[in-house]
Amino acid sequence: MKLLIKITVFVAFILSLVITAQAAEIKIGIAEALTGPVAKYGVPIKNGFTLAAEEINATGGIKGNKIILIVEDEQAKKEEAINVFKKFIFQDKVLAIFGPTLSNSAFASDPFANAQKTVVFGTSNTAEGITAIGPYVFRNSVAEADILPIVTKVATKKLGLKKVAIIYGNDDSMTKSSYEIFLRAINAEKLEVVDTETFAKGDLDFSAQLTKIKSLNPDAVFCAALVEEASNVILQARKLGLSDKVKFIGGNGFNSAKLIEIAGKAAEGSISGSPWFLDDPSKKNQAFVKSYTKKYGMAPDQFAAQSYDALYIMAEGIKAIKLSGNLEKDRTALRDALAKVKNFKGVGGTFSFNESRDAEQKGRVLSIKNGKFAIFAE
Amino acid sequence: MIEFLMSFWQTYNTLFYTVLVHGMLALSIYITLACGQLSLGNAAFMGIGAYTAALFTMKLNVPFGIALLAGGMLPALIALIIGAPTLRLSGVYLAMATLGFGEVVRVAFLNMSITGGSVGLNGVPPKTELWHLFAAMGVLIYFFLKLKNSRFGRALEAIREDEVAAAVMGIKTTWFKVWAFAIGAFIAGLAGGLNAHFTYFLSPREYGFDFAVDILTFAILGGTGTFWGPLIGSTILTILPEMLRFIGSYRLALNGLILVLVVIYLPNGIITVKKKD
Amino acid sequence: MFLQQFVNALALGSVYALFALGFTLIFGVLEVITLAHGAVFMIGAFAGLTVVTKFNVSPITAILVGMMVSGMLGWLIDLVAVRPLRKRKFHHLAPMIATIGCATIIINVAQGIFGAEVYRFPFDFMPAMSYNFWAIQLTLLQIIIVGVALSLMMMIIFLLNRTKWGKAVRAVAESPRTAALLGIPVERVFQITAFAASALGGAAGVLTGINFNAIHAFMGGPIMHRGIAVIILGGMGDIRGAVLGGLILGFAEIMSVAYLSSDFRDAISFGLLFVILLIRPAGIFGSNLERKG
Repeated sequence: MKLLIKITVFVAFILSLVITAQAAEIKIGIAEALTGPVAKYGVPIKNGFTLAAEEINATGGIKGNKIILIVEDEQAKKEEAINVFKKFIFQDKVLAIFGPTLSNSAFASDPFANAQKTVVFGTSNTAEGITAIGPYVFRNSVAEADILPIVTKVATKKLGLKKVAIIYGNDDSMTKSSYEIFLRAINAEKLEVVDTETFAKGDLDFSAQLTKIKSLNPDAVFCAALVEEASNVILQARKLGLSDKVKFIGGNGFNSAKLIEIAGKAAEGSISGSPWFLDDPSKKNQAFVKSYTKKYGMAPDQFAAQSYDALYIMAEGIKAIKLSGNLEKDRTALRDALAKVKNFKGVGGTFSFNESRDAEQKGRVLSIKNGKFAIFAE
Repeated sequence: MIEFLMSFWQTYNTLFYTVLVHGMLALSIYITLACGQLSLGNAAFMGIGAYTAALFTMKLNVPFGIALLAGGMLPALIALIIGAPTLRLSGVYLAMATLGFGEVVRVAFLNMSITGGSVGLNGVPPKTELWHLFAAMGVLIYFFLKLKNSRFGRALEAIREDEVAAAVMGIKTTWFKVWAFAIGAFIAGLAGGLNAHFTYFLSPREYGFDFAVDILTFAILGGTGTFWGPLIGSTILTILPEMLRFIGSYRLALNGLILVLVVIYLPNGIITVKKKD
Repeated sequence: MFLQQFVNALALGSVYALFALGFTLIFGVLEVITLAHGAVFMIGAFAGLTVVTKFNVSPITAILVGMMVSGMLGWLIDLVAVRPLRKRKFHHLAPMIATIGCATIIINVAQGIFGAEVYRFPFDFMPAMSYNFWAIQLTLLQIIIVGVALSLMMMIIFLLNRTKWGKAVRAVAESPRTAALLGIPVERVFQITAFAASALGGAAGVLTGINFNAIHAFMGGPIMHRGIAVIILGGMGDIRGAVLGGLILGFAEIMSVAYLSSDFRDAISFGLLFVILLIRPAGIFGSNLERKG
């Protein structure tokens, strides 16, 4: 009799384990560049996901189901990204995939996810044509094509610009496409471009380009660069004696606390545009910034904010479907539900997917005042 | 079991494709090493081949075979043109000149509009099948097996052992060196074309300095005494990082450690051949 | 504008030269192209940064600490990865491959410790003075960089030419076997050279970190490509060649941006390398063609 009770208890215990295990797992694959030079974007992205997942799980998960993140390093190489995607889809049997970090890798890996009818959600792929890969490809990356023209327009008006110089990184797809968008906007505003200069990723010295720019006396400098190059461009320009009145106007790369940390006072007055910014006083954002800073010992950047929002957007989609346990069915259902996400309130403001599954989000024109990001103009 | 194998194959087939492509690249550097020349231009040749083949299928819509052939021929042609002046150099100087050439090629890719500049070339149709890779590899293995006892192969070996002596014996050293260089470029270009058609996307950054050194590492790690060495080296170095995935954030460090240990304990490469005296 | 670009080129060229100095020294004596030199350079910068943020030391101390740490690391790399290969007959590129492995380990571990993000030295660490001569803007930093780089180069050249140690090093560089017969402790010379050359790399790392405010685990990559170009340009293993090569590359980069187009800067610099090698197959100061290949 005692033995029977023991066995019953044991069986019940095992059963309970099995049941909770079944009810508790929504597996999501995170493929980001976690080693190598691109890791400075990949790591904050991973942090954003991790923080959001912990918050969701701490408040009971999605309808009681816990989110399990499976994180893999794709090293910003296209073959690695493909390998990781396939591992997620066929071995880990994830419901959906986030990543990869660079658009270049996305062009190589996203077609596989799309062919296997698995949602792939990019949070940092800004290149044109990413979502055109197929109906399973989503992204919430900043639509620079929408935001930078507004930035250009506002800056031209408020600063009274007539002639400008441009400097950009020409071996990076992100900065190259920001440059092209800026150029179109500059032409639309009928500004004169006195000089266009380029540099390469990893460059440290911009003095030759900046000396040239300075000698041509532009009213402002458009700078399409990632944050570490952008900071040095600004710092070195001031060291070379470029007047404080000549403001720097930038894209995505400017929107980082690192810019202020590295360029310091030289960054004052720099203008950029984004839906999210660090010092946004909204309650949601302040809570995010606080818990992120506490957890990782540094302020979040735009990449972290976007991945943080992305997981919540994904959760919205998952909430709307009924998980059947049939992976193929669930993946397709998730795609349909995700495409319907509208007016999601995140740290970057109100977010919707448009019909091409790209971000529809209002951008704000920002400038740096007293070492903080502030709204330059609505 | 079958299900397991199926999912294993689905997960790792691209890795397997990559192993074969890297094997071809290792062979492409082996043939120049076989005559004692160290060329670091093979990553650039691969890039030229990849872009050429991809543009042929995308813009001209030619059959895959012809595109691949073009992807091999153009690098070979360029190698023939730059070969004669470049191969006057030897040792590290040749390595650096070819590296300089690679840098020029990379910048050219960045600034041409047909290659898509830094944004890259997107939407390369997936045409590479496993049998293409096997066929190419089979032909190459056959070629290298035949090479060993051919006049060409013996000439290369003589140049490798002692270039001056070879020249004294009447071997047209420059002629053989340039042809070895061109054949290497052809193989690298072919590998590039095949690679382009299963990864959908090309960008200039893939064919830079780091990858040139990777290709060299394939060959040296495997051993350059016979062409099997580079094949073994490339296979190990391609699979190792995937196998170490469970390590997490320090897997690259472990990868590096294994590289150091192999080199220290097998300084002549994994496959060593005893030399006849 | 030309004068300003001249100053810019001089400052950039000095950094390249300083980096290449250690690089070429190792090649000249140990006959190894150490592809870990970029990683050693990066560790120097982080070592300097760490003592400054933790103990608030002076720039000179930071440079010395960076040199010390990098030197030790270089010695360790030699001990672990190069020395075991020295004694045996091996493929002449095997030690280079071993140093690639070392670089991978160092960079990966550095990323594990410091993360992937960018750091800089504190703002008040160095007075941001700049001077205005005619139309030239000179910063105190540029002067210091050129000064430190030049004095370290002079010191190395002095040590090599005028001291007993220098004689021993030159003898070993000429032929380790003959040097050993002459009673020179060859192994010691190798170790000291590895230490000294890496220390120079560390100094370059700290100076670059102070000047360019971009310290991160991968900062060694781009400068190493250039370092390789520089030492080939100057002639492998030649100290004067490294200095001149560094300056030439600095001038080529700056002047191609200033008077041609920044789009083609790297193509111009490396194209120049290509052409110089075609004219002088062993570099500017290289005398004989290497037979072994």
